[in-house]
Amino acid sequence: MNETFNFNRFWTYFKYDLKQMWRNHSKSAILIGGAGIIFYVLWILGSLVFTQSWTAPPIAARFVVLLFAFLVLELYQTRTYGYLTEKKAGSSWLMIPASGTEKCLSMVLMTILVIPALFFAVYFLLDGFLSLVDPTYGKAMATSFFSVYSDFVNALGSFNEGSPITFTPASLVFPAIVSTFCNFLYFLLCGICFKKNKIVGAIAILFGISTLMSLLGGLIIPHLDLEQIFSNLDAIDEQTAARWLAGIMNAFVAFTCLLTIGLGWGVWRRIKTLQH
Amino acid sequence: MIEISNLSFSYGAKRVLENISLKVSEGNIYGLLGENGVGKTTLLTLLCGLKKPESGTITVDGRNPFDREPSLLADQFYLPDEVIPVHARAIDFAKEHGVFWPHFDLEKFRTILSEFEVEPEQRMDAMSAGQLKKAWVSFALACNAKYYYLDEPTNGLDIPSKAQFRKAVTKYTSEDSALIISTHQVRDLENIIDPIIILDNRAVLVNASVQEITDKLFFDYGSELNPGALYLEQTPGGCIQVYPNTSGEESKVNVEAFFNAVHAHKDLVRSMFNQQ
Repeated sequence: MNETFNFNRFWTYFKYDLKQMWRNHSKSAILIGGAGIIFYVLWILGSLVFTQSWTAPPIAARFVVLLFAFLVLELYQTRTYGYLTEKKAGSSWLMIPASGTEKCLSMVLMTILVIPALFFAVYFLLDGFLSLVDPTYGKAMATSFFSVYSDFVNALGSFNEGSPITFTPASLVFPAIVSTFCNFLYFLLCGICFKKNKIVGAIAILFGISTLMSLLGGLIIPHLDLEQIFSNLDAIDEQTAARWLAGIMNAFVAFTCLLTIGLGWGVWRRIKTLQH
Repeated sequence: MIEISNLSFSYGAKRVLENISLKVSEGNIYGLLGENGVGKTTLLTLLCGLKKPESGTITVDGRNPFDREPSLLADQFYLPDEVIPVHARAIDFAKEHGVFWPHFDLEKFRTILSEFEVEPEQRMDAMSAGQLKKAWVSFALACNAKYYYLDEPTNGLDIPSKAQFRKAVTKYTSEDSALIISTHQVRDLENIIDPIIILDNRAVLVNASVQEITDKLFFDYGSELNPGALYLEQTPGGCIQVYPNTSGEESKVNVEAFFNAVHAHKDLVRSMFNQQ
């Protein structure tokens, strides 16, 4: 028997994990996914009370709510497998006959794909339903996203015509997806590392890192000749600027990919070394 | 075969187990006895791979339990003192969880559960502590594992259920299984445990079969007092005395009296049973 990874065993475990996830977290994911409809009801009530008219929230407000709900979903990832640090539930989980690699892979897939997919499915279905039943609601967000995306692709085509570097939609969407995965894995890792105050701990680390970066910036920037740097920047031509931009983007993608892999490794390592 | 060699473990600065060596062979139900805090649960969690030894080694059929290889996890079952109230019906839990143990028998689970008079359709999170323990014991035995580590399995069970537990353990475990049962309630398991392991202050005080114990000690249930008794306890019908068996007569072991005799004369008993 392959002790590290066996596809049949992984599939058995993944199905089991899916059932547990549905049983324990579907209500929360649906509730977070229902943030749009909760906001809609509150907005309509406010509108009826203050303006005596039935007015649905504008698309911009709905987009802000979606972002907020997505942020809550990210934070919620600290809880999805947070039970691993509890003695009873964690011990029982560790004793399930599947390898650490299989458990880790299932956990990562659940965190970056299954739960977000459930969230978006619920969010956009409810949003679509509201756009059908309320004429003041406007277009469904999913439809708006498609039109925004097609506008973006067209704009990118115009940009590429005069640019020495060609950007594809994928080359710009990919970094966004990877950094989202990175965020999810970060909160997952914090959830399985901290025994208590998981969300506070996760935010505290981010706060600590940003403070440290600010301090480093504060130490380095005074020693730089900014005037010289900005005059050099003014002097560079468009081609060089585009190459720099592409280079910065590639570096960002590489860094985010490495960070995501590192966080995935951290999750695996935590599972392998967890003791109860 | 489980082999423990020079095993040590500490919680921070507090040493719990020190230089323990022990062999556990199949076909026996070991009773692991000891006062509170001597490390019984710690030893069980080390054996099943929930903890990593500080020094020394544990091998279970040549494998390191802390590697938590799926094949070894499928060969063993650890039942903690406090079990989790799963958010599911007992039968669903057994179906979903049992797939990981290759020899799991759902019919056996139903049979043992019905002998414990617990409904398989009942939700585990709505069960009383005793019912929950019975559901977990039924599940554990239905897994048909080779190695069982049961931590205080009779805690929370009512009197008829304790008898059912003894019956189930002897009836539903195979002859090539090894069970290590940690307990404070020696009377609950008196007739099924053999050999007996007594832990004391970091070390194994006694590891002996019932036959070895009766070869070396005599358990006298009469009323005539013996001046050489290692332990004497008055009972309503007379007394229980434990003294060295010089006549070679057979007697029935009273585990509680044995435990108390061992505690009152540690060095003497250790030398009798050749413990280091």
